[in-house]
Amino acid sequence: MYRDAEEIEREKILLCETSSSEHKLSVAPEIDIMEYCRKEWRGNTPVAKRMRKGYEAVAQKFASIRRVRGDNYCALRATLFQALSQATQLPSWLQSEDFTMLPENLLSKYDWIKQWQLKQKLGRKMGEIHDEIKEYLILLRKKWKNISEIKGPIEKQEACDKLFKNEEEEYSLYEALKFLMLNTAIELYNDDKNGRRVPVFSWLLFARDTSSNPRQLMHNHLNHIGHSGGLEQVEMFLLAYALQYTIQVYRLYKYSTDEFITLYPNDPEEDWPVVTLITEDDRHYNIPVRMCQETML
Amino acid sequence: MSYVPGQPVTAVVQRIEIHKLRQGDNLILGFSIGGGIDQDPTQNPFSEDKTDKGIYVTRVTEGGPAEVAGLQIGDKIMQVNGWDMTMVTHDQARKRLTKRNEEVVRLLVTRQSLQKAVQQSMMS
Repeated sequence: MYRDAEEIEREKILLCETSSSEHKLSVAPEIDIMEYCRKEWRGNTPVAKRMRKGYEAVAQKFASIRRVRGDNYCALRATLFQALSQATQLPSWLQSEDFTMLPENLLSKYDWIKQWQLKQKLGRKMGEIHDEIKEYLILLRKKWKNISEIKGPIEKQEACDKLFKNEEEEYSLYEALKFLMLNTAIELYNDDKNGRRVPVFSWLLFARDTSSNPRQLMHNHLNHIGHSGGLEQVEMFLLAYALQYTIQVYRLYKYSTDEFITLYPNDPEEDWPVVTLITEDDRHYNIPVRMCQETML
Repeated sequence: MSYVPGQPVTAVVQRIEIHKLRQGDNLILGFSIGGGIDQDPTQNPFSEDKTDKGIYVTRVTEGGPAEVAGLQIGDKIMQVNGWDMTMVTHDQARKRLTKRNEEVVRLLVTRQSLQKAVQQSMMS
């Protein structure tokens, strides 16, 4: 009951540390985009000049940038954050009745899905694969529904920020996205085998030595995302298709080429919402915010 | 122009008829727009109400069709050829103003100076 001065000090430090790690924001607060650019790229090398020009082009449409935590989940993080920030309704695939039955259904058809790499949970016993993934999918739907129902843009953004400070929940959502990518890949693979039309990227996805079928895709790619690898470009297409979103990316190292702004997929459906990301190198993604477009007519 | 949800909106509007100028394959209007429901309204220097997501005239080319027609920088575009422009995305607004075969666009705009002039004359 009575603590000495030293103990009180130790307690204070402990409190500081835990609260700072609990509130570790995966998506940093916004800063002015040109200010960010000036700090990051000072020199006069050709690369620096190209980056600055790239940022200037982005600044014509977006006033600010938010840095995204740079682990191997960052493409998923940036995309999901943008999607939720502007969500006004549940996407149709999230509304479907048997959405949560997906893990069970797929596992009954494809035994190899048992080798799906679940994220390690510290201290908690790992359950059955389909139960764990079902939990993640339920969480995704719950969070998407809650956030899309918030009317005010400031409150909506606050709810997003809060979600992306909660590591446990946040990382469960990425696992849900990865599973949805697997589901989409299986659909595309089967469509192709059955002679139905598939988008071009689907051929590229399965043309790789390391992923000639969904099972290999899972083993050699999806299982590694968030751990030893991020998303390759062809997997950005897969993510876009899984979410039914168009992911527009400013690829700064491609400034002054026709790949500077790349759309995944590149022939987007009219009614797929658009989210925008920035990358300097196709490895790390950040988020542009505060659209302030001006168009000359 | 302040807007109270549920209350009727009154506005002093100006009709502007722009005859587009043909430049090669393009029909030029000679002004720039900002705003839209998908944009960030706090970036708009012309709106009185910083939550206003309407379409505003941000630039007018000197001697261009818009200036000749009487459009002014800071004007808020309410309608284009009868189409509402108060609840559109930036891109929808662009499309409504740049239809391929339309040589003339009739705009309804509001202007803060107009509002103030009317208010003042009503008070005297």
